[in-house]
Amino acid sequence: MNRAHSHIDFVIGAEKRIAEIISPAEIEPLLRSLVMAGPLYAAVLDENNLPICEQGTTDLLHTAQEFRHGLLVEGEPKGALVVSFDPDQTGPQESLSLLARAALQLIITNNLKRMLTTEIHTTVVKDSYEQLLEINRSLAESEKCYRELSLSLEQKVEQRTAELQKAYARMLQQEKLAAVGSLAAGMAHEINNPNGFVRCNLSTFDRYFQRMKAMIDNYQHLVASETPLSQLQQETEKNRRELKIDLIMKNTPEMLSQSIEGTDRIARIVADLKSFSHVDDLGESAADLNEELKRTLAVLEPQIPADTAVLSELRPLPPFICHAGLISQAFFNILQNALQSRREGLQVHISSACSDDGIDIVITDNGCGIAPENLSRVFDPFFTTRDVGSGTGMGLTVARELIRCAGGTVQISSREGSGTSVTIQLPLASKGR
Amino acid sequence: MIEFDEKQKRMVLKLVYYGPALSGKTTNLLTLHDMLTRDGRGELMLLDTTEDRTIYFDLLPFFYVAPSGMKIKLKVYTVPGQVRHDATRKAVLQRADGVVFVADSHTAGMAINFESFDNLEKNLSMVGLSFERLPLVVQFNKRDLTDIVSEEDIIRTWGPTGLPVIMASALKGWGVRETFRRVLELTFDSLQVRYDLTARYGVDRDDFLEAILRTAEDAEELALS
Repeated sequence: MNRAHSHIDFVIGAEKRIAEIISPAEIEPLLRSLVMAGPLYAAVLDENNLPICEQGTTDLLHTAQEFRHGLLVEGEPKGALVVSFDPDQTGPQESLSLLARAALQLIITNNLKRMLTTEIHTTVVKDSYEQLLEINRSLAESEKCYRELSLSLEQKVEQRTAELQKAYARMLQQEKLAAVGSLAAGMAHEINNPNGFVRCNLSTFDRYFQRMKAMIDNYQHLVASETPLSQLQQETEKNRRELKIDLIMKNTPEMLSQSIEGTDRIARIVADLKSFSHVDDLGESAADLNEELKRTLAVLEPQIPADTAVLSELRPLPPFICHAGLISQAFFNILQNALQSRREGLQVHISSACSDDGIDIVITDNGCGIAPENLSRVFDPFFTTRDVGSGTGMGLTVARELIRCAGGTVQISSREGSGTSVTIQLPLASKGR
Repeated sequence: MIEFDEKQKRMVLKLVYYGPALSGKTTNLLTLHDMLTRDGRGELMLLDTTEDRTIYFDLLPFFYVAPSGMKIKLKVYTVPGQVRHDATRKAVLQRADGVVFVADSHTAGMAINFESFDNLEKNLSMVGLSFERLPLVVQFNKRDLTDIVSEEDIIRTWGPTGLPVIMASALKGWGVRETFRRVLELTFDSLQVRYDLTARYGVDRDDFLEAILRTAEDAEELALS
């Protein structure tokens, strides 16, 4: 049961005694006026014939002419009006008493109505008030709940922000892995090539070695068995021809130098990769951004279309304090875009310069360009115009993030169909954060 | 029950006319007042109204005195039908011995009838009365109008409730006394079970019903004979 409805004091319809409905003070003026108009005595009696209010004298009542009229409450006789006259007196006595009764009845009825409406009103107000208290309490409760919520909101926001940052970092890492993946695919080819012919040369050399060993073994055997000189010469010459020693002598130097060159090439590629990724230096250091550009270009070498003209115009730059690995990652993403912007007849122009404001690096291509409606979205995460699966949509997002971490900015201008220019500006004064 | 004074041999009962706004609850009481004999009933008390709509309640009292001297006072109330007067409805419903649900026959009124009936069910439980056990009669009023739901539809919809359904036109005066009789019968039967009125207090069912339901014309004839 709802608390708000558990106390109602009045029962609508509860029986009322006449004394509850009219008070002596209320009817006294009426009875007094009545007595002044003639009667010796007038009284209003309750259900038990006890007077609620009386006026006049009771001295002569035994001889008096008495009029008695019932008073109704809700149509039920509940009391009476008694009016007594001097029997010798003449006049409209009964009419007078009836008039008084009518007036009293009106008072009773109206009082009863007022009481009933008051009861209803009180009941309803009490009920409504208790409901209000109830509502108020539940409101206060929910307000408290919201207050607590707002207090913990900050904490929650922090928590969610940390989660978001973590997720973003994870995303950057994934993008980096994707770049490394595509880099690795190109690199694998680059390394496999020299490795292949070095391996091939070594196999050949192994066979050469067996033949040379056989030649020497034969010779030692002939000498040990004291073979006559002429026969020794004869046998040796025969052996030399059979084992094609001449060919071995002719081919081996080239084969070896070719192999050395191959391993050198592998070493150079590994060095490029190492310097590009800066696996060895984890902290910030003074970097020559021109070197970083060159290294990046070097690792991208396998991805450069055959007839591409890459023109570098790199002016001397002051050392730039940064995570060189991260900066070169940004260069990588931007340069890769440029290299993929056109299949044939691609021209990429890379320039760097230093002014009082800082370092400007501009990478321009004559590729497909960017549609005007897409230009504002190229930095948005996951925005890509490439086919599903061939672009992550994270390249420029990550590039801008990395440049921003170094305190710089990236701007792109492009005309669809005729090329794109990316300008990286890095401040010198601040090392950026 | 409002009051039962065994020593004084006096019982005060309460009947309530419930239902949606403007379904004709007050008209029912007015018609009963005009139709039934003056002996045995009091005056109809209409509390203040707003634009002719009940905001408190109306009251029509009846009196019955059994040959045994047992007095039964029957107070018949209406409630305000407007949704906003729910607290008043609840207050009037307290300790009711029987309820007449006055429904509006207008085709547009069906949803409002159900809503009000739901409200009755809810308020009965709030004032601690059992919907299952309380004598309850449904009256479909305004049958004299044209744009009304057919009787078959009403029976089909309300029949499954098992409640007595009576067609009436309070304005024209028919069905009103029949409704009142039905709720009186049910109320008497319910009291009979609880108080054994006939055996213990000498109250005869038929005499009780006849006395209260006696029309003014019947009373005249009775007086003449």
